Amino acid sequence: MAIVQIGDAARTRAPEGAWTLYYLTRAFASRMSSILLWQPLLNTASVALGAIVLSMSVGGVLAWLINRTELAGRGWLATALIIPFMLPTWTLALAWTTIFKNRTVGGQPGWLENLGFATPDWLAYGRLPMIVILSLHYAPFVILILGSALQRLDAQLEDSARILGASRRRVAFQIVLPLMRPALLSCGLLILADCIGEFAVPYVLGLPVGFDTLSTSLYRAISTRQTGMAAVMAAVIMTIGVLTLYIDTRMMREARRFAIVGGKGAMDRRRPLGRWQFPATGFALVFFAIGVVIPLGTLFLSTIMRIPGRFTPENFTFDYWIGSNLDTVALRDGILLTPEFWSAGLNTLIIIGSASLASGVLGLLVGYVVIRSPFATLGAFLRQITFMPYLVPGIAFAAAFLTLFAVPRGPIPALYGTSIILILALIADQMPFASRSGIAAMAQLGKEPEEAARVAGAGWWRRMVSIVLPIQKRALASAILLPFISGIKGVSLFIILAVPATDVLTTYSLRLVDYNYTQAANAVVLMIALLALAGTILINRLTGNGIAKGLES
Amino acid sequence: MPDITLTHVTKNYGSHGQLAVDGLNLTIANGEFMCLLGPSGCGKTTTLRMIAGLEHLSDGEIRIGDRVVDSLGSGTFVPPEQRRLGLVFQSYALWPHMTVERNIDFGLRLRKLPEAERRAKVNDVMEKLRIRDYAKRYPAQLSGGQQQRVALARMLAVNPDILLLDEPLSNLDATLRLEMRAELRRLHEEFGTTIVFVTHDQWEAMTLATTIAVMNGGRLQQVGAPDDIYSRPVNRFVAEFIGNPPINMIDLGDTSSQGGLASRLFSDRPLAGATAVGIRPEEITLVPNADAVPLGLLRLESIMPTGGSWIMEFSLGAERLFHATHLRPMARPGDMVACFAMPEGLHLFDAKGRRIEENEIRATGAAQPAGISRPALLPA
Repeated sequence: MAIVQIGDAARTRAPEGAWTLYYLTRAFASRMSSILLWQPLLNTASVALGAIVLSMSVGGVLAWLINRTELAGRGWLATALIIPFMLPTWTLALAWTTIFKNRTVGGQPGWLENLGFATPDWLAYGRLPMIVILSLHYAPFVILILGSALQRLDAQLEDSARILGASRRRVAFQIVLPLMRPALLSCGLLILADCIGEFAVPYVLGLPVGFDTLSTSLYRAISTRQTGMAAVMAAVIMTIGVLTLYIDTRMMREARRFAIVGGKGAMDRRRPLGRWQFPATGFALVFFAIGVVIPLGTLFLSTIMRIPGRFTPENFTFDYWIGSNLDTVALRDGILLTPEFWSAGLNTLIIIGSASLASGVLGLLVGYVVIRSPFATLGAFLRQITFMPYLVPGIAFAAAFLTLFAVPRGPIPALYGTSIILILALIADQMPFASRSGIAAMAQLGKEPEEAARVAGAGWWRRMVSIVLPIQKRALASAILLPFISGIKGVSLFIILAVPATDVLTTYSLRLVDYNYTQAANAVVLMIALLALAGTILINRLTGNGIAKGLES
Repeated sequence: MPDITLTHVTKNYGSHGQLAVDGLNLTIANGEFMCLLGPSGCGKTTTLRMIAGLEHLSDGEIRIGDRVVDSLGSGTFVPPEQRRLGLVFQSYALWPHMTVERNIDFGLRLRKLPEAERRAKVNDVMEKLRIRDYAKRYPAQLSGGQQQRVALARMLAVNPDILLLDEPLSNLDATLRLEMRAELRRLHEEFGTTIVFVTHDQWEAMTLATTIAVMNGGRLQQVGAPDDIYSRPVNRFVAEFIGNPPINMIDLGDTSSQGGLASRLFSDRPLAGATAVGIRPEEITLVPNADAVPLGLLRLESIMPTGGSWIMEFSLGAERLFHATHLRPMARPGDMVACFAMPEGLHLFDAKGRRIEENEIRATGAAQPAGISRPALLPA
């Protein structure tokens, strides 16, 4: 970003390849910088903050209801309320446009518009819907993190206060809340880091009305070949990510100072809701409806309607799924009969599948080395280096990969346009999670089983294959499935690195959105959501409550 | 200060209806140092938590003084914060985000005492428990013993009428346990507080309590002074649970078969429905004595020194007999040694495991232990 890029020689009045401050000045201190950087930054910040406040208040209440009250159906809700987090964010975004889209942009109008309600721009696009959608997506994350923190909190800490005469309210504010503070702050910061890198939602809801965020600006810079500007944007995003996570790490260290070994939990810590039972259950169900039922239902309905929002029998059709020789310009067959769909699906499975497999196994190996290595420094180094990619939001990460592998470097050929670059980027992107869960899994497995095998005469390979892997097979399965889910719902890596030949389902659906094939796009998104859901259910089956644990480690 | 009265207290958990506590009747007198003793899962902690108000009763009634604090019949329930008692948890449950001082001060603040009075009280109780030096530290910076003293101080600061302790010494090492034990006794005498504590450790119970209530399977087995419980266990469970090394329990089922320990103890058929006899290891003696019941020559299997005392394992066929002594053993493993049982150390139990009292034995006119009624049979 400090080197004059191809084609910019005339503007910068310096030869190509020379050092320059042109891009930095242009981004930070020129007449353009308000449009280029400050406005997107402001937009990103306002959306992120709105999403944090809303998701933490909604998620916090739900976490408390599920873990500390006798909420009706809480066992079922504990799983059901997590689903929005497992759906790709732009599932919600597309469902939103399907309902609220107005005449500001072309293509088929939304349902409300067709039913005769003119939806204003502030409701259809931009800040408000983005905040709502990101909140829906991250509230389950809050439920998971706060819920597990609440469960781990030693109930005797609360009991002691009550014995001394504190009311429930006082216990909540003077004991529980201060002890939950690290979890709350950490939760907020992680959401912030994720929101800054979020691409799909602003792409669907922001771009049509020129509501730019940092990630869409970056995308625009890359797609218009302004590599210098793209580098500046990527650097800004990275810096924010690194800062956020630095604060988070510092705070976690601070929090550990207070850590104390807990005793056995109490039994009667759930409180009856009494007359609040009905509204509380209603609240949880409403969240489930808005976060899961309505978006998925909307998307499905939209794929079987010719004209959006017209609920008459002759308007319904399965043509967009299984029809052929349709009366359209392109995409004349239903989505399930289109070869591109299947090739994108196959690509998805191959690329994301092999990347997940690799990162799962690598993660476990990293865990093995970190825990077993006799050299403490090597372990610490590995732990650090595998966590590095987490500091960088996916979109900036992809941009870095693009510049790295767009041209041949030494023995490595230019990888851009191949699936290798996608797999490599995905593995690197998933390493933080994979290595964390590998370390956690290996830390729980004592040395003894392996030492016993060693005494019995087993070499390293045999110990791995016959002892370590079988014991860790559940951990390994979730270490493969978690990256798979997050890969399948992630957009930012692919949007930068994929080309039509390496189309995966996500990029394919976004392309369809671009061409305004709403029904087809929604159908593809539905399929992605189903895949992510199936993966989630599989993990829950395999590990009980593996998702919460996987996210924490 | 009030008595605590438990009437038919029952607690069952969950839909399975498992009884954690089953019809418990118990009175804890004012100023008593009462221990609830039993193996894990016997319902002792649940009982303590019900007294504290942290669990609701499933049936029965708890009274503190003449105030009903929890009763299913009348539907009364006084929440824990209004019961004026203190509870020290096994894990101490210190608030990790507050300093030692703030932890202790918490209860006083709730009572809205003026600042000066609060500070005086906090200092006073820290002085008494010798934790003044740690006033500004956080709990995570303290050792287990120090944490426990802070937990105690936190409860004592508010002058509770009743102090409840859950396994108070179990997390401490041997030296600290001795120290804390002395400390607790001193506190009991100094403050005159009624103390109820729960433990599975009989040593803790014996050394601390003035009264022990032994529980098993949710039911009360026996209440009494530590000595009573030890020397007059009301049933086999209490006899076998209390005592280390454990009591020698000899089945009387086969006295007819010649040569067993039972037939050496009793010349006749089992008496008054007695099916087992228990002899404490220290009620076995190797010194001939006019009153003692001779057990004949037993083979010495092993000697286990326990530091100043010894446990000797004898055998007769497949039967084992343990003897504890403070006299350095002269015999060696493999030797045949003449053993005797002290007649006052014989505990008889019937088929249901209940103790058969001596007067019962006389009343039924059944045969009595050989050594009491007639010259003992010498081994063949």
